[in-house]
Amino acid sequence: MPAAGTASHCPYCALQCAMTLTPGGPAAGRTTPDAGPAGALGIEGREFPTNGGALCRKGFSAAELLDHPERITAPLVRGADGDLAPAPWDEVLDLVADRARSIRARHGADAVAVFGSGGLTNEKAYQLGKFARLALGTSRIDYNGRFCMSSAAAAGNRAFGLDRGLPFPLADLGGAGTILMLGSNVADTMPPFVRHLEGARDAGGLIVVDPRRSATARLTAEGGGLHLQPTPGTDLALLLGISHVVAADGFADEAYLDARTQGRDAVARSLAAWWPERVQSVTGVPAALIREAAHRLGAAARAARAGGPRVYVLTGRGVEQHANGTDTTTAAINLALLLGLPGTTAGGYGTLTGQGNGQGGREHGQKSDQLPGYRKITDPAHRAHVAEAWGVDESLIPGPGVPATELLHTLGMPGGARMLFVHGANVAVSAPDAARVVDGLRALDFLVVADFFLSETAAEADVVLPVLQWAEEEGTMTNLEGRVLRRRRAAEPPAGARSELWILAELARRLDAPGRYPVDPREVFAELRRASRGGLADYSGIDYADLDAGAERYWPCPAGAEPAGTPRLFLDRFAHPDGRARLVAVKPGPVPAGDAGGQRGPRRRAPGSGTGARGHVLTLLTGRLLEHYQSGTQTRRVAGLAAAQPEARAELNPATAAACGVSDGDSVALENAQGRIVVRAVLSPDLRPDSVFVPFHFPGTGSANLLTTTATDPHSFMPAFKNSRVTLTPLGAEVAP
Amino acid sequence: MTAAEHVVVIGFGPVAARLVEELLPRVEAGTLRLTVLGAEPHAAYNRVLVAEVGTGRATAGRISLADAGELTAAGVDVRLGTAVRRVDRSRRLVLLEDGGAVAYDRLVFATGARPVVPTLRGLDFTPHVEPRLPGGVVALRDLDDAGALLPVVRSGGRVVILGGGILGVEAALAVQEQGGQAVLVHHGGHPLSRALDDDAGRLLGSLLCAAGVEVVLRAKAVAVRHGAGFEGLELDDGTVVAGDLLVLSVGVRARGELAEGCGLVVERGIRVDRNLRADTEDRVFAIGDCAAVEGRGPSGLIGPGWTQAAWLAGYLAARPLDAAPPAGGPEPADDGLAPLPPEPAAVLLLKARGIDLSTGGDPTPGPWHEGPERVAVWADPRAGRYCKMVTRDGVLTGFTAIGMPRTAAELVLLYERGTELPADRSTLFRLDDAGAPAAARPAGPGDVLCRCSGATHGEVAAALDAGCATVEEVGSSCRAGTGCGGCKEQIEAMLRAAAPLPA
Repeated sequence: MPAAGTASHCPYCALQCAMTLTPGGPAAGRTTPDAGPAGALGIEGREFPTNGGALCRKGFSAAELLDHPERITAPLVRGADGDLAPAPWDEVLDLVADRARSIRARHGADAVAVFGSGGLTNEKAYQLGKFARLALGTSRIDYNGRFCMSSAAAAGNRAFGLDRGLPFPLADLGGAGTILMLGSNVADTMPPFVRHLEGARDAGGLIVVDPRRSATARLTAEGGGLHLQPTPGTDLALLLGISHVVAADGFADEAYLDARTQGRDAVARSLAAWWPERVQSVTGVPAALIREAAHRLGAAARAARAGGPRVYVLTGRGVEQHANGTDTTTAAINLALLLGLPGTTAGGYGTLTGQGNGQGGREHGQKSDQLPGYRKITDPAHRAHVAEAWGVDESLIPGPGVPATELLHTLGMPGGARMLFVHGANVAVSAPDAARVVDGLRALDFLVVADFFLSETAAEADVVLPVLQWAEEEGTMTNLEGRVLRRRRAAEPPAGARSELWILAELARRLDAPGRYPVDPREVFAELRRASRGGLADYSGIDYADLDAGAERYWPCPAGAEPAGTPRLFLDRFAHPDGRARLVAVKPGPVPAGDAGGQRGPRRRAPGSGTGARGHVLTLLTGRLLEHYQSGTQTRRVAGLAAAQPEARAELNPATAAACGVSDGDSVALENAQGRIVVRAVLSPDLRPDSVFVPFHFPGTGSANLLTTTATDPHSFMPAFKNSRVTLTPLGAEVAP
Repeated sequence: MTAAEHVVVIGFGPVAARLVEELLPRVEAGTLRLTVLGAEPHAAYNRVLVAEVGTGRATAGRISLADAGELTAAGVDVRLGTAVRRVDRSRRLVLLEDGGAVAYDRLVFATGARPVVPTLRGLDFTPHVEPRLPGGVVALRDLDDAGALLPVVRSGGRVVILGGGILGVEAALAVQEQGGQAVLVHHGGHPLSRALDDDAGRLLGSLLCAAGVEVVLRAKAVAVRHGAGFEGLELDDGTVVAGDLLVLSVGVRARGELAEGCGLVVERGIRVDRNLRADTEDRVFAIGDCAAVEGRGPSGLIGPGWTQAAWLAGYLAARPLDAAPPAGGPEPADDGLAPLPPEPAAVLLLKARGIDLSTGGDPTPGPWHEGPERVAVWADPRAGRYCKMVTRDGVLTGFTAIGMPRTAAELVLLYERGTELPADRSTLFRLDDAGAPAAARPAGPGDVLCRCSGATHGEVAAALDAGCATVEEVGSSCRAGTGCGGCKEQIEAMLRAAAPLPA
């Protein structure tokens, strides 16, 4: 490892793998599968508890984007000819401020909205939330974490009184003998995570729940554990079935439930109705497998309490991105509580954050109902504290806004926003019912997008503001463990790009905004510490100097507390006032129309069998490929990654394909009330015959989110990404997607 | 504002409990009064699991579905141990055995079903009263029955089960697995003779024997012999099946006498229309095992009852009395009320630890059957496996799967959804294949070896050629093995293969 490198972390997912960045270093010119034209910066994996020195190919190749030919290096303004053209910063900022001012004057402050990101540093996320409330005076700010963590956050807050993705260090998983992993495909989404599953696999105790035999589900093969493959949309019933067996067969930890929880009796009664055979008929998971999983968990938890290997229950987007995502996550938490795990040294429950700063991004004021430090925007004491930290009168802080899906689906409509700032997100590809979002973007009076590439969203903008990439900036990120990490600058940005902190400061000045807008991330972080002090996500005891010295800092980290920070939450008490965790009885709701499952439906015939040329109705599963991140704005521009996975595809079970008359590589159309996409079919026995998988990283006719519905969870407002019904029509081999 | 409507529910079984649960928010909001009259001393429990309690696998507390104290605190008038004498519809009163009376605005019968007592000497088989069974004879329908069975199982006693239907088979297996000796007496040629074809039935019979259950087939019982307690079941050929306890499992009959007594039509159950109404004034309803929806007999399964309960709660809210039209009159055009979902076709899933059996529809047509059905069969009885799929136009009309749990789970879904099967039926037979279809194709140099880095077999081979001798060296050369670490064993194998042979 080169001695002179800069220690930082990966730009992509929440694992935030540690890496060493070396200008012109040995790795920079090396020919690797992904290197393409050598980047100016060398990247090497760095030893760190989360990634153990490993990186995946997304991280290895990230430097290619720094001096990428498509990088935007000057502000762009849409001219009278309709094209985006470079313009000087002063002129552009004047224009943006002028439009914000005039639209606010004409339509009210809430006509200007802000859409943030879980990819922004803590400093930028914090400053963006303050800018929205104080400089724009709008309540309308939300962020793409709503598509990510919101269901788990709602369920975690309901159960524990506090939500931190993993309430324990990730490396704790290494000591586990049994891990139940629901709806998370870490082997593709964050490959270095897989090393933490080795202990459980060696013990035969990795239990993966996924309707797809994903790369992670395959880790259970050859004695690694169990794969439960429910029909899509039935995770909640499956969890109730496992919990039923745990309770009925005497594996519940009664002493723990008595001492540390409330609500057990109501949950026990609700579970009595979900015996394994009933659950089998709902989920398609054999009753024997439900019992085996439950007995394995129950026996392992009992052993863990006596000092044996630990037991964990983990959830991911696969169970959370549903209209009942919060309740499904609650069912997973109930199971962990019945097993006596959370807040003990025997194991626990956690959710796997997706975005790089999905954790910090939601704690410091980008959420429509929250202020920094995970404070509530409706709580007078919380508002007063933040107002003081911001140096403004409390009355200047607007009330709660609207969650992401509502914000995006009302753009340009009566009562909706007329001007929108987008920072670090590509909603034209990543939001549900994407066509409706694009229509909304086009209906706006004015769209401002801050990005370093002309994303599909930026391409719709009136103004594009070129910003810095990860290796060009300083700041902090909070990883999936709630550990605060330093992002460090190792490369010079292009001359025309600017930090978002500078942009916000310049705009605030032009708007005569109350509050302070420093451009130095250290100063912003110092204010963030004060603003978060005493909140649930208390960062007041964290400073750059400690982090730079290698200190581990997990929030909450109140100033002056010893030891600093909280690697493991809830060991003494949960965060509800009485210190007890809540079990909350949940059950699957009536199956909504157009959703999967349910009653014996109308009989369908295969195309070509005489009647009914309407094609096959399947459940759409969306998800990720190893090679790409989010909407692909970055990874689709990395030559090696784009070459490996150049386009979207529809993965189909061969039996389904045969019934539809589709061969491997044929084009197929998938459509429903939201829209239609055309992609190539890839046949895979990993899919259940009732589902089709489409990765969501691609734009245009292959954009999976053209098909996702606008239904949202009533608690978290998470969109139901994972369970849309689509009709498949074969287009044959000749039609190019 | 008119006073809140008063709904009285007769019965407090699982279906009534679901109705109460669904109505509870309205009770708490003060827009509904609710009274529940339960004849048993317990609040609702999951009757499906009574055998689990009777054999000691579960405790009564663990199958409880409702808590009377909590419901009372929430404002529900819960009366346990309260039997109803009769219903006076003209005065809208429920008259209780204890002499009391409860007035109602709307009445829901959720009286369930009672076990059929077979016509055997030694038993009182009067059909229209609660069974009065002699000591040592139980029906395994309620917690008292479970309480009688448990000590016999615990002491390793002999339990004779009369009736080889699904509940009888489940009870026999549970008794056997929990340490008792089960004797299953069945009139047919094989157990589950109404639901299984001959081959499947024979396999089930042999699996029961292998589990230790004594199976007596083609048996016509004629008498119950008593001494101090139960002594034996006498068959028509004069043999006596001895045992310590007799479990009757020969079916149930809707409890319809109260409804009949107040002038409602009772056939196989209390006749209700598609809106679950038993009268023409929109005041009296029936749900669950006592209800014959549009004249169809109750299924005896819990699922349809729960669906009816949830639906009825929605109906009562959407159509309060002052707004509801009389039955048969025009329905309100647009109050957002979806019709009661059609009852799904019955599927039997055997609740047992050692035997995996699912069956549904009519699985009796054989492979050479000349009707329109296509029939596919896989049979390997010595291995405990049997599977049959009967389809019409590709959609299941009947199926059975024994010893093939994944196939069974899939067939249940396909059957309930009416989804067309894969043209190649063997796809479904193979779901339980332990040696699942592994890609046998040898990897080529262009195939990816390390998923995380994208390094190919060719690149790793080149690294080895260039002199890399350890996984770490291969990693620093081409990054293979530096991500999740899942391919390290493969790289080690390549290193071993490439290593020079020891001298």
